[in-house]
Parts: sequence; C-alpha cells; structure tokens
Amino acid sequence: MNGTGTGMMITSSSSTWVSTTSVSASGKRIQREMSELNMDPPPDCSAGPKGDNLYHWVSTMMGSPGTPYQGGIFFLDITFPSDYPFKPPKVVFKTRIYHCNVDMAGNLSLEILKDGWSPALTITKVLLAIKSTFTNPDPYNPLVPGIARLFLADRAKHDELATEWTLRFAK
Amino acid sequence: MVSDSIINSSVPSALNSKDFGKKKRANRSAKLKQCKLDARREQWLSQGAGKTKGCEENKDNVRREFPKHSRKTSNEREPSFLEMRGRVEGIGESIHHHESDMELSPANSPTSILLGSTESGTNFSGSSSSSSSSGGCCSGCITEEEEDGDDGCLDDWEAIADALAADDLNQNQNQKQCTELPPQHGEPITQFDPMRDLSNLKPEHPRMVQRTAANTGAWRPDDVFRPQTLPNLSKLPSFPATDRKFSKRGVPWACNNAVNAPSSCPICCEDLDFTDTKFFPCLCGFRLCLFCHKRIIEDDGRCPGCRKPYEHEPLEVETSVHGGSLTFRLSRSCSMNTRS
Repeated sequence: MNGTGTGMMITSSSSTWVSTTSVSASGKRIQREMSELNMDPPPDCSAGPKGDNLYHWVSTMMGSPGTPYQGGIFFLDITFPSDYPFKPPKVVFKTRIYHCNVDMAGNLSLEILKDGWSPALTITKVLLAIKSTFTNPDPYNPLVPGIARLFLADRAKHDELATEWTLRFAK
Repeated sequence: MVSDSIINSSVPSALNSKDFGKKKRANRSAKLKQCKLDARREQWLSQGAGKTKGCEENKDNVRREFPKHSRKTSNEREPSFLEMRGRVEGIGESIHHHESDMELSPANSPTSILLGSTESGTNFSGSSSSSSSSGGCCSGCITEEEEDGDDGCLDDWEAIADALAADDLNQNQNQKQCTELPPQHGEPITQFDPMRDLSNLKPEHPRMVQRTAANTGAWRPDDVFRPQTLPNLSKLPSFPATDRKFSKRGVPWACNNAVNAPSSCPICCEDLDFTDTKFFPCLCGFRLCLFCHKRIIEDDGRCPGCRKPYEHEPLEVETSVHGGSLTFRLSRSCSMNTRS
C-alpha cells in the first residue's frame, strides 16, 4: 500500500524531475554559501536571503574607511540565477553611490560578475571584490564615463562629490 | 554461539511493546533461565576458584559485596568477572572470551526483557540517563555504550534513543538491527578484558544492573540512527580494535575525515562518488564532479579553478575523426544522462 503510493508519486513527478534537481542543486550550493558566510563573514559586510526565497538576497556594505564612501551604508540586491554556480549572480546597488563603475540604476560593472565569473567563486568573494572597488575604482572600464573622467582629471573634486553623495544617500 | 541465539530470540520480543502476552511468557522463561544460570554460576565459581589462584583476594572482596545486593542479577555477573580477571593473567584467551560471552549475554537478556515493558513509555528516559551518568562505569553489560560512558553527551543519546524506542516503525528497524548485533557484541568484550577492574563491581546494585541492561535496550535503536548524525560508529567494527582502545571515539572519526579530504564537489556541493574521486580534469588541480564538468564543457569550457579552457576541447575534435574514441565519448555521455 505504501509502496504503490510512492510508486505513483515517482511516475507522476518524473516529468518535472530534471528541472527540480537542477534547482535543488543550486539551492544546496547557495545554502552552503549562506552557512559559510554566517560562519566567517567578510569585514563590514552582511548578506542573507531577503525573505524565504533562497535566490533573492539583500546585502549591506559599509563604506570602507579612508575612502569618500566612509560612514555610508550601502544596500545591495543579489539575485541568484536558477543555474547559479554556472552563471554569475546579479548584484545591484539599491543605495545611490557616486562611483564610476555603478550607474544610476545601481548596475555594477565588475569583471567577475560577467565574463570573469567562475563557478568556483562564491558570494563571499563577490562581496569582497565589490568592497575593493570602493577603494580602487576602475576608471578604464567605466559605467559612468563622466565620473571616470573626473576621477582621472581631478581626483579631489571627485572625492568631494562622492563624500557629498555618501552623506546624502547612504546615511 | 549459544548466547547469540538467545539474544536474537529474546531481544526483539522484548522490544515489541505491543505483545504483552509474549512478554509474560518471556519473563517466565527468563526466570527459568536464571535458575539454570544460578546452577551454572556455581560451576563457574568452582572453576574460577581453581583457575584464579592469584586473584583470591579480589574474589573475597567480591563475595563480601554480593550478599548485600540482589542475588539474581548481580551474582550472575560475578563468575564472569572472575573469569575475566583470571583470563587477563592466564593463558588461552580466545576460549575464555567465548565462555565469558556465553556467561554475560544471558545475564543481559532477562533484564532487557523485564525492561521491554517499560520501554514504550517515555518516562523511562529519566532513569536511564541518570544511571548513565552515575553508574555508566558499572561494566556489567558490555556493549558499545560503555565506550561512551565517559562522555557527557551520553545523556542526550539516550534520550533520543528512548524517544525512538517508543516509535513502532523504529522498533521494526530495531529488530533488524538486533539481528546484526551479535558480531558487534562479541568484539567489545574481548577489547575490554584488560581494562576490567574489580572495583567496578562495587556499584553493582540490583537497580544498577537493571538500568545498565536497560541501556543496552535503549542503545540498540540508537545504533540504527547513529550513522545519520555520527557516521563514525557504524563503521567502527571495520576499524582495528587498537584504534578504539587508544581513543575510542576520536580516532575513527579523524581517520574517516582524513581518508576522503575532498568529500564534496565545490561547484554543486554534492558528495563525490567513486568515479569522481578519480577524476582529474585539469592540470591546475581543481577537481569537481563529472556532472558539473559536463555542464561546464557544454557551456563555458573553462576550468573553474584557473579559468583556462579544459584541454578536452582539442581532443574532442580528434575523436570526431577517430571512430572508436567517438563511440567511447558517446557512451560516457549516455551513462551520465541516465544517471542525471
């Protein structure tokens, strides 16, 4: 009686079996990363699922000291694709920031989130890479060319504007 | 041998909490057995007196202890301990281990039957856990829980085991497990012979004996579920006894971890199976399971560790020329499809 019941279940769910296993595989990986992140979080960073959806995270990042973003708290949305370890997560700044690699919509131009992605990378490493862009913007691969131009031409003016945005939007 | 069959027949019936009639019958048979055992005990005593001349002082101590306590259960153990004591100093260990095995396991079985009736209740857990902390070193019954008797976590395990014993489904598994027990049962006895101390006999109180026997009843369901949380103990019999003597818990665990260091795929976090552990896809040393490797080959083709293209790419072009290797590739991908 019990055996036939499970047999029915197997036959009925066999059509959707492949898709569910792929999702659960990425889910297992994301869960592992979440526990690793809770065990050993990177400095001044936090990240975790927004609600009960494992594929949609929210992250907070403190502006690194010694940068014009110091004292600001920046919120980021992280969305994991269903084929996650093979495709990079999508990271979007929800807090406005004056940065040549972050556009008005909060999109981030980071090499490891595009072609430089490797399935061996984890969200912890991604957060550390984002954190390093605070201290080292990449004006040669800009998302906002005006800010990049100002960064190269007049660094003091750039930092002043960045500090002003941090005070206005990230406090 | 003989004792094994006794355990097999008595313990499952004891664990089955619904058959009360069977239990009564078993109790009667247990009393009969005890009468027989009493008779045998006299034999053992006389034999032991002949064999263990060097331990006569100890024996006298033991005899002084016993009249205060129950005569049925505790006295049963007395000859066995004397035997053990004599054996350590004597010769011919293997024969005597068998004898002590025969002597001890019937002593366990009647008490476990008595406690089988209480096992369905959960209030039993309190007494057993308290006994484990106080009288865990009683050494009357020789099973695996004695190895853990020193640890503080024994209480938790027993509580879990008692909760599980109340479950009917688990009891079915218990019966399966009990059939597997006797080979395990024999091992710790041989192992614990040198460590036996007659001072352990002092706490041998009638209650204590019953409780420790109850521990064997409570721990058998525990053995069933031990692999899920603590996978080390299910594999214990495969490890040499010297390891267990040295450090009963830690060493097998450490060995277990040391053997398969890269235990799971870093990409999908699934455990690496036998073929995966022999799969070295890239010269950089980055390893992953065959599923993830196939997925990457189809899509990106770069090693996740060094981001260089896998060197299988030029080989695949060659295989399209050579027919034999092409069929090999196809068969491999087919087998992966059926498994995934």
